[in-house]
Amino acid sequence: MKIATVALALLALTSRPGPFRLMSRPGPFGPGAVAGPEGPALQVTTPTYTKDIAPLLADRCGMCHDAGGVAPFGLLTYADVKRHAAQVAAVTRSRYMPPWKADPDNGPFVGQRPLNDAEIDLIRRWVDGGVVEGDPRDLPPPRHWADGWRLGPPDLIVTLPQPYTLQADGTDLFRIFVIPLPVTKTRFVRGLEFRPGNPKVVHHANIRVDRTAASRALDEADAGPGYSGLILRSADYPEGHFLGWTPGQVAPLLPKEFSWRLDTKTDLVVETHMQPSGKKEIVQPSIGLYFSDTPPTRTPAMLRLGRQTIDIPAGEPQYIVTDSYVLPVDVEIEALQPHAHYRARDVRGDATLPDGTQMSLIHIGDWDFRWQHVFQYESPLRLPKGTTLSMRWVYDNSAANLRNPEHPPKRAKWGQRSSDEMGDLWIQVLTRNEPDLVTLTREFRAKVAAEDVNGYEVEIEKHPTDTGLHDSAALLYLEVGRPDGAVAHFQRSLALKGRSAPAHYNLGTALSVAGRLDEAVYEYRQAIQIDSAYANAHNNLGGVLLAQGKTAEAAREFREVVRLQPQSASGLANLAWVLATAPRPAERDAGQAVDLAERVVDLTGRRDARALDVLGAAYASAGRFDRAQGAAAAALRLLPAEPLATEIRQRRDLYRQGRPYVAPDPGSRR
Amino acid sequence: MPRLLAAFLVGMLALGPSAHAAPQVRVLAVNGGQKVDPLAAPAGIKAIVFLFTSTDCPISNRYAPEVRRLATTFGPKGVTFRLVYPNPAETAAAIREHMTAFAYAGVAQAFRDPTLDLVKFAGATITPEAAVVAAGRVVYRGRIDDRYVDLGLERPAATTHDLGDAIEAILTGQPVRHPTTQAVGCYIADFAR
Repeated sequence: MKIATVALALLALTSRPGPFRLMSRPGPFGPGAVAGPEGPALQVTTPTYTKDIAPLLADRCGMCHDAGGVAPFGLLTYADVKRHAAQVAAVTRSRYMPPWKADPDNGPFVGQRPLNDAEIDLIRRWVDGGVVEGDPRDLPPPRHWADGWRLGPPDLIVTLPQPYTLQADGTDLFRIFVIPLPVTKTRFVRGLEFRPGNPKVVHHANIRVDRTAASRALDEADAGPGYSGLILRSADYPEGHFLGWTPGQVAPLLPKEFSWRLDTKTDLVVETHMQPSGKKEIVQPSIGLYFSDTPPTRTPAMLRLGRQTIDIPAGEPQYIVTDSYVLPVDVEIEALQPHAHYRARDVRGDATLPDGTQMSLIHIGDWDFRWQHVFQYESPLRLPKGTTLSMRWVYDNSAANLRNPEHPPKRAKWGQRSSDEMGDLWIQVLTRNEPDLVTLTREFRAKVAAEDVNGYEVEIEKHPTDTGLHDSAALLYLEVGRPDGAVAHFQRSLALKGRSAPAHYNLGTALSVAGRLDEAVYEYRQAIQIDSAYANAHNNLGGVLLAQGKTAEAAREFREVVRLQPQSASGLANLAWVLATAPRPAERDAGQAVDLAERVVDLTGRRDARALDVLGAAYASAGRFDRAQGAAAAALRLLPAEPLATEIRQRRDLYRQGRPYVAPDPGSRR
Repeated sequence: MPRLLAAFLVGMLALGPSAHAAPQVRVLAVNGGQKVDPLAAPAGIKAIVFLFTSTDCPISNRYAPEVRRLATTFGPKGVTFRLVYPNPAETAAAIREHMTAFAYAGVAQAFRDPTLDLVKFAGATITPEAAVVAAGRVVYRGRIDDRYVDLGLERPAATTHDLGDAIEAILTGQPVRHPTTQAVGCYIADFAR
């Protein structure tokens, strides 16, 4: 008894009050279980392990705190719990355990196993009462958690081929492992389960798929298993699905209709967050995959709010990042994943419905980079079209933020390294139907690309001589309709690469999109000078010359394309077009145009609207207006995008009037 | 002022062993299992550093490289390092295995303290926690450094090295600036139940 008194005194010394939160979701061990139907009389009863504590801990803690689980010790026997009793009371009271960073009101999410205030108090009273064991007959039937794969026997198990040796000392360490998937035919994946191999040191894992060999190449270039560095953009979530692992959590299998396609030659890219244990550790994670026989019939979309313009001054205690997006279609939110590094303190994702109702999707008031989690709704959250999704992240880059990786604080900019900062809210949604998915994906792509441009600029600032970064950034600038940005980066890339035909060609393409035609012609000619057999350069040069009204010169380039690549659909179509529609009659050759256009239509299997349009123009040029109308109608049946659709309709109207289409002569207008 | 303080401390130290009715602190040697006096030290030892630890406390284990560094730095200067395993459930065999895994062997001696004799003498409550004894008195008790602030809150690197600073102060005859600090880790209290 004397020992118990000492222990209590020590407890009072070492435990400190945790943040107090109201729990709105009573679990199965709600206040009723404590007070009992008889009312206050039961409250004087000292809780016992067998009756009160064992079922509670088995339910909320057993997933990790079992023999062989990911936690450092078990909590499933009286001896084990007794040995850690004061610690259990303290960490449940401070809400360090069970680990759940989001507000208890958010969700409900899969795997959320909170203790409510009454349950926490029950544990405290059990400890204060002297950790009484109680009647063994009260013990609930034992539960076994950790035996084998929690999702059942996987269809395929892959293991990191070479184990990684983690150093004994130091702080968080990130390593990207690339695990080839030995599938010999296309499979459809319903889920995967990550087993850390060494749960003592593996803190969380973020898994992506790379359908290119790019990640593998980085792995091979780095000595030892995996590589240290950045996740490549080619490694991504598969078709709108999250893949991740946090201790104690297993994402359930997807319904069959949501499986994702796994082609051959795909690698799993596993970003693994490890914490040294004090001795060298062997880390060799395994991943079990679960397949479906049938392809998916529904595909989610992955939305991402966030900024890549983050730039936090050293010492700034409150730097705020916000972003928002208005849903163009109805959706159901399946899951959420907030992401930031060490300087973020408070992260908040909200939805504002069209009627103004505001709801909290996720709020983490004490952001901890080391507990990254995908929050999957137990049942999806429906949000109507017109709902605004928004995020607000608050960062503390002062010395008062103890997790600040820089001491003293330094300016922090956007970047993937944990010493940089990020701020994203990933949101997985399902649309009601396929057309809605197309609309959402197209609109969202524009938003994400515009933000990714910012990220590329930051990366390029760090790696100004990386031509791959310049080229990727330029392509993104073209995608978002900012050709001048593309020109600037292709110029840098060209300057770095020196004498390079593709670099001149890329720059020429960006210049032509920017409307800088004379400069584009110059670059294409440079490319051709280096590589006279560069068909694409001849083709694009022809296109620019055509736009300048230099029809004969353009035709010469297109002929060169056809000579170099007789099967080039674009070369054939362009040449046919010039011969059919040239402003000056002398430059036209209707017969040859028809021959060429028929070849193109054959080559493209009558599935290309532009090829059919060229054929229509060729027939009209030859005076065969019925056939011209037929080709135009066939083109329109393929629902071409604008402005082509309108142009084809205008030409069809000409053909109906028995008139050919003749291109305007830009040269004559000068 | 500093000179006064130092003088006071020196006086205290001189009083130490004789005036102090040394309690019968007994621990078990990991090798051999016999009862020994953990405060006994060969001549020339200026301070004994006790490190309360356990085989399965993650924070305790993460400090192993730092403990080895400190022991290697201060060992030649007359400071001896002693690991104390207060958990009665940890057997001598498990402790020997632990010492091998974390490369403590040869760096520090190890004792078991299942009756918490030494824990109570030092006032330790946590693993890992250090107690520095000089001339029979505990002159520092607390954390090794400030890397861990609370469970779930840790700095990327320590900013103050309390244990090392305390040892330096003792070796140079200076007062220990912060004789007690709060350690963060696993509760020793639990082992006593």
